[in-house]
Amino acid sequence: MKKRGLWWIFGPVIIAFVLIGALFLAPFSLNHITQNDIREASVSFSKNVFKGEAIKTAAFNDKSKRYVPFFGSSELLRLDTMHPSMLAEKYHRNYQPFLLGQAGTEALTHYLSMQEMPNGLHKKQAVFIISQQWFTKKNSKVSFSEFYSPLQTANWLQRIDRITPTDRFIADRLLREKQVKNNAVYNRLVTKISNNQPLSNADKNILSVRHRMLLREDQLFSNFSASNNWKNRVKPAIGRLPDKDDAATLLSEATKLGEQETTNNNFQIKNSFYKYRIKLNLKRLKNSQRNFDYRESEEYSDLQAVLAEFAKQHTDVLFIIQPVNQRWTDYTGLRKEMYYQSVDKVKKQLTSQGFNNIADFSRDGGQNYFMQDTIHLGWNGWVAADQKINPFLTKGYQPVNYHINNNYLSTRWQNLSPTPENLKSFK
Amino acid sequence: MLNLQPYADPKYFVILLLALAPLAIGLYFGKRFAWYEVIVSFAFIFLMFNGKKYHEGYAIIGFMIWQWLLVWGYTLYRKKANNTVVFYVVTLLAILPLFLVKLSAPTHWTHVATLLGFLGISYLTFRSVGMILETRDGSIKEFNPWLFLRFMLFMPTISSGPIDRYRRFIADVTSVPDRDKYLKMLEKAVWYFFLGFLYNFVISAYFFQSFVLPQVKSLAIESASVHGGLTWWLVPVMYASGLNLFFNFAGYSLFAVATSYVMGIEVPMNFNKPFLSKNLKEFWNRWHMTLSFWFRDYIFMRFVFLIMKKKWIKSRVTTSNLAYIFNMLVMGFWHGLHWYYIVYGLFHGVGLVINDAWLRYKKKHNVPHNKFTEALAIFITFNVVMVSFLIFDGFLDKLWFK
Repeated sequence: MKKRGLWWIFGPVIIAFVLIGALFLAPFSLNHITQNDIREASVSFSKNVFKGEAIKTAAFNDKSKRYVPFFGSSELLRLDTMHPSMLAEKYHRNYQPFLLGQAGTEALTHYLSMQEMPNGLHKKQAVFIISQQWFTKKNSKVSFSEFYSPLQTANWLQRIDRITPTDRFIADRLLREKQVKNNAVYNRLVTKISNNQPLSNADKNILSVRHRMLLREDQLFSNFSASNNWKNRVKPAIGRLPDKDDAATLLSEATKLGEQETTNNNFQIKNSFYKYRIKLNLKRLKNSQRNFDYRESEEYSDLQAVLAEFAKQHTDVLFIIQPVNQRWTDYTGLRKEMYYQSVDKVKKQLTSQGFNNIADFSRDGGQNYFMQDTIHLGWNGWVAADQKINPFLTKGYQPVNYHINNNYLSTRWQNLSPTPENLKSFK
Repeated sequence: MLNLQPYADPKYFVILLLALAPLAIGLYFGKRFAWYEVIVSFAFIFLMFNGKKYHEGYAIIGFMIWQWLLVWGYTLYRKKANNTVVFYVVTLLAILPLFLVKLSAPTHWTHVATLLGFLGISYLTFRSVGMILETRDGSIKEFNPWLFLRFMLFMPTISSGPIDRYRRFIADVTSVPDRDKYLKMLEKAVWYFFLGFLYNFVISAYFFQSFVLPQVKSLAIESASVHGGLTWWLVPVMYASGLNLFFNFAGYSLFAVATSYVMGIEVPMNFNKPFLSKNLKEFWNRWHMTLSFWFRDYIFMRFVFLIMKKKWIKSRVTTSNLAYIFNMLVMGFWHGLHWYYIVYGLFHGVGLVINDAWLRYKKKHNVPHNKFTEALAIFITFNVVMVSFLIFDGFLDKLWFK
């Protein structure tokens, strides 16, 4: 073997580190996000896109198409014919949904994701779909880790000018998650916010280096898991839609599809969902939701943080309150009055602060083919939602006037068991 | 306060290599700074067991005092006498802390686990028990407290091996490799570090643990709930968890070996392309080698000698078969007192018995041997091992009993 000196051993390592350092700290962008990439990302449900900043920034800066963020959870995944993404594309609307959310995303996760896309929110429009299932007593943030990225925290921290009660609330929430708690740097910085101490200039420098590295990582990798949803799901659906953008035609088409696809059960649940998710457990599920309760939950305050962010960005936002499949909840014993009380509590929180664009479908869960399965909007439900979404977005941005009430961050509000009287008197 | 878990993240490697730099420079110029080495070792062990893990710190101190007294006392005793009962009692006492910690898992004795348990207790127990056995044999004659400490608390291998032997270790630690040799060690160390990064961080942590395994496991759980516990999804779970086990552990071992090389100590390798083994016996000569050699030398061989010496069993075949099963069962129990570890041990014990029978059959009969049969042998061995790793993984326990 050739005799080797130190340079032969460590030279390659040093060169590798220099190259990596250059790659991560270079001030110019290394990748190019095309309009096709953005269109694919808008229906991809990719966690990398959700957690990242690069694709979202590119989408909301796109000049050729107005991408509007649609925040929600698992219902967004139901890419069927009447889904908002299909309708917008087919009828060449002046907007195209950029879907943010999937099974497991709730308000806190959305709040963090919003930190990475101020350009998608500032004096722009958005749609936010609320599911009452988020508002459980035990705040089970099991999926928090799936949708969390340090980039969100770095962005959030960087963008704090004056520490608000929302910031302190978010700081306390983050400090309970091990991804933040166990990270020495973020733990220290977030603790400062929690204690109402502004970040020092040294802190801000650390953050900006971190941000640059994380952003570069995001730019390099967030496009990796590109999906084929556009080609495989959106394109075929567009072919099935009627040529004319007309509510009555859409509704009759939706009803037809709903009839065809819900033949193996009496709940009007989509056949495949029923077959794989329900059929075998049908007996066990009888009355299984009798003790569900959505009235007292930390989620109300998480939602408040989202509202504060909308207010901060002057976002013109339409809230959609999603119903539950009534045929199904009659079987599982979900208590109606409990459900409506939780809806009232959400609406009180929205309207009292000036969020008046609310499409409340909570009483429509019993209509034919409104739901695709147990808790997700389907054929006729999407058509009904479109009747609200389309005019709202087509009209374009309207100046907003929100007045945030920080008492909605309190445990007093979280634990308020709603009655018409105490909702009215809550200040 | 800073807490450093061995080889856990890039930060650890930066701190570790900075701390080791003076030692490496010394070795390069032919000097071994023993005191500095001990201080660095202690500092890293302290940083492993501080903060919330302080109870592990107390546990390792208690453990070290206990082992110190046993090994020292036994060396003194051994100079005067050699009673078998004393030897057994001392060995059992040396194993006692580990045994109690293992027992605390199924019995839920959390206070015992908190009081006695710490990361690396198994590997430290192997080191001291090995010393006691070699003292009994007469191959270790003196108790040198300084070298005992350096051997037991050698930082790179403290958490998960490789398991070194005392005499080999002190030969290294009391000498300095010449410059050519040390440069070769450094070259290997760099290679092992980077191979370890690939194995542990990229393939195991990223590809398997955060990408493949969660998906196939959840699909298996979903499908098994419909099909009465058995599903084809167990096949990808098996390969993914088996390969993950290898890349994770082999990666850690490479880090430990590389760190030792930087410190001028040639700790033995732990893995040697195990999945190219043509039979199960060869597999155990290539997989977690320092553990299997430890078991071979201190359990298998001693068990066989004992049976032969006492003439309990005449047949050599029966003796070795019994020894295989005993050896692997002990290994299974050592992994933990859960059914799947014990079944894993039994599986390998029986596997080795069958393997031996086949080798005897092959010797007697004219079995064809060519490239194809070798490939077939590798394929069969690999799959048998994968099945055993599926058992070992504990996923079946979760799937069927939880």
